[in-house]
Amino acid sequence: MSARPLLRLELPAQPASLKPLRDAVCAALSRAGVAPDLRDRLKLAIDEAAANVIRHAYADCPAGTFRIEVRAARGSLRFALRDHAPAVDPARVRPRDLSECRPGGLGINFIDETMDYWRLRPLRRGGNLLVMRKRIRGGTHGGTE
Amino acid sequence: MKNECTTEARDGLHLVKVAGEVDLSWSQSIRKAVLDALGRAPAVGVDLSAVTYIDSSGIAALVEGFQSARGKGQKFALVAASPQVRAVLQLARLDRVFPMVDTAEAVTS
Repeated sequence: MSARPLLRLELPAQPASLKPLRDAVCAALSRAGVAPDLRDRLKLAIDEAAANVIRHAYADCPAGTFRIEVRAARGSLRFALRDHAPAVDPARVRPRDLSECRPGGLGINFIDETMDYWRLRPLRRGGNLLVMRKRIRGGTHGGTE
Repeated sequence: MKNECTTEARDGLHLVKVAGEVDLSWSQSIRKAVLDALGRAPAVGVDLSAVTYIDSSGIAALVEGFQSARGKGQKFALVAASPQVRAVLQLARLDRVFPMVDTAEAVTS
């Protein structure tokens, strides 16, 4: 794991935070040498993950904050999204069948289709942690092969 | 680019023109504009040529419009969708579900 994260950013859990989040993720991935097509897919996945925190995790309590951390290591990118919301049941966060044409519920599919690995878990000390990983062909400037 | 959603009334067609980055912060405005247009005109096109980003909440607004139009036998199409929009529709496997046309005139033809 690289010593310094490519990005570490804490934002209020509100929709207006999504644009600055995307801009920061995009800039960090560009600095790390991630190709534009993949960078855009990753940006969408992170946006969807944060939107789920805003819409669902903080749905029944006052909105707090979320923190995104991006690291590069051994040809992979690791994204960690931490919130301080009540515990979310990971069993209820699953991709849905895309053959059904209906509005809503696509965010997890975008994450699932883009990332090589993701896992959401509630933390003992409160809040939830979503970890996502993506292998990068050719590595990144911020990590080692 | 500024986020903007405007509706143009044309002959038998309402064209909802969307520009900027569509996300959770304002996708409800697009949903409302599309459903309002469907309440006023027999055919609706949604011009997405100036959309540089769209998330699942924006896609949901388009799906809702499409389903409402289909239920009432109205014409509905996405007009000149930008490459960014096409990529997300493909990811959602909706690129073959939505009628997609290159010009507003083609919505009613």
